[in-house]
Amino acid sequence: MKRRAAYFLAEWKRILRLLPLQLGISLVVCACVGIPAAALVARSAGEGQDRYRIGVVGDISDSYLGFGFAALQTMDDSRLMIELVEMSEDEAAAALSRGELTAVVQVPEGFVDSIVYGENDIRVTYAVSSGQTQLSATVMGEIADVASTLVTASQSAIYGMQRTLYEQGSADRVGPETDRLNLMLINAVLSRGGFGEVEVLGYVDGLSLEAYYFCRIILLLLLLAGLTGGIFFLGRKSALAGMLNAGGVGALSQIAGEYLAYLGFLCAGFLLPAGLLTFLLERGTILLPEWEGMGADPFFALLSFLVITLVMFAAFQLFLFELADGIVNGILLQLICGVGMGYLAGYFYPSAFFPGRLRFVGGLLPAGAAARFVDCGFLMGNWRGEAAVVLAWTAAFLLLAAAVRQSRILRG
Amino acid sequence: MAAKMAGFTIEARAIRKTYGKKQVLSDVSFMAGSGQCVSILGGNGSGKSTLFSILAGVRRADGGSFFYGETELLRHPARIQNVLGYVPQADPLMEELSAWDNLRMWHDKKTLKKELAEGSLALLGIEGFLRTPVRKLSGGMRKRLSIACAVAARPAVLILDEPSAALDLACKENIIRYLTAYKAAGGIVLLSTHDVQDLTICDACYLLKEGCLRPYVYDGDFHKLAEAL
Repeated sequence: MKRRAAYFLAEWKRILRLLPLQLGISLVVCACVGIPAAALVARSAGEGQDRYRIGVVGDISDSYLGFGFAALQTMDDSRLMIELVEMSEDEAAAALSRGELTAVVQVPEGFVDSIVYGENDIRVTYAVSSGQTQLSATVMGEIADVASTLVTASQSAIYGMQRTLYEQGSADRVGPETDRLNLMLINAVLSRGGFGEVEVLGYVDGLSLEAYYFCRIILLLLLLAGLTGGIFFLGRKSALAGMLNAGGVGALSQIAGEYLAYLGFLCAGFLLPAGLLTFLLERGTILLPEWEGMGADPFFALLSFLVITLVMFAAFQLFLFELADGIVNGILLQLICGVGMGYLAGYFYPSAFFPGRLRFVGGLLPAGAAARFVDCGFLMGNWRGEAAVVLAWTAAFLLLAAAVRQSRILRG
Repeated sequence: MAAKMAGFTIEARAIRKTYGKKQVLSDVSFMAGSGQCVSILGGNGSGKSTLFSILAGVRRADGGSFFYGETELLRHPARIQNVLGYVPQADPLMEELSAWDNLRMWHDKKTLKKELAEGSLALLGIEGFLRTPVRKLSGGMRKRLSIACAVAARPAVLILDEPSAALDLACKENIIRYLTAYKAAGGIVLLSTHDVQDLTICDACYLLKEGCLRPYVYDGDFHKLAEAL
């Protein structure tokens, strides 16, 4: 018993020695993960106000067509704003491939003339990158259809009206009538938001999209904490395990001692990101609809759920390091298992994207259990059942780690 | 130093161990008395470390027994830790901790201070680096520290697996001096070695070959020993 306590104490002394390094690594990870994560959450929060940047290529020298595009670009009060950028075909192709454009509208040569002369056989082409093929392609396609119909039909009407007035010898009416019809066109463009509205509700698993990503990014950080926590397992020796075993500290006690110290080590490493998140929430840099106007207070309540999740992830990581032979293999195993499990559990994309069976499997995994548990914490739901699952996984990982240690000792 | 247990003997009887289909130890038996040093000689992979780890209670034997006096130890592993100190081939130290912190894992503070003050650990020459982190220690320092950790419970039997491997002469001398004193205090030393210099303190030698242990008399002829291995 005395020796067991001495071993536990020795492990805690180790983490005190390793703590500065851990905090340093934590700082780097915060910078590496935090900045893109904050950008993602901020982007997600501001998605409704995003301007779609569309490249316009081809023959837009005609004054009426130019006027139509200008109206689209500057007089739109609808939620989905469009920025039209005139560019050459090569520039547009390059910008589209770099993701700087949402889409490209190509106006072929003679498009306006074709309309004016009633032939209407030359069509505007709308091109999107592969990343925009789903929702945005549909929405943008509809917008382009509406816009091109409006512009085309209006221009045809204006040209027709002008020709008729000239033929009837009413050249003096051409100017005022053109102005009147242009005003009608502008009004039509301005009110096209009323034709229909695309509304993205943005709720996943009961959370707003922002809250969903907020929780999942933190969970991913905790799940992959083993990558930085690997320094804890550096220099571990099977000789020590054997000698401890001979000295009365068995495999289970060894694992328990290491686990408690490792958990403390990870908790210390989590302090920095938690502090940073508190600051960003308090400052309003991270805005979550569910916590609007509440500052960081709800995050403090969520912290206890995150720490319990860390209890499971620490056991999971300890087990993987125990299973792997050597620190490099251990870190690789952490990465593969962490990323794979996180992916299936919806840490990278909303889980609704996955087929039902995959979602079911993802939910069974520790990462899925952690996600449900944290969601319960976020939504103040009934968390007891999920907590039991998380703790059961923890116990399973610790027992497995102890079994691996025992076998390692026996193999020498 | 060793607990005052003069007059006791240790006896291994018919210890067997198999890895898969390979019989590593086949009815290994030997005896040693108080104040004796017994060396086990054998080539690489002959089973010396397996034998020692079984005696130390780290691994389980497939059969056989190991007596300390009248007490059978293999079936009562909890008793082993009070009787036996074990120094494995690789050092069992925590790299980030100081030598003192490593010792504290095995010794209670009061006993450790007493041992250092009375000089029983002084023979190992560890006082000079007690506050130094293990990662900064040389191989010789680590080995002496490992021995100091193993003798925490003042065991009557000390098992050392190749204690002088890759050490310089001064270190080897230091360890031999300590083991000589340990024997003189009534302790039993079991060691495996590839170094004939270690044999100078041994009272009996055994040769482990193809799983079988047989007595061997080292007469100073190194070539003969090499052939026998």
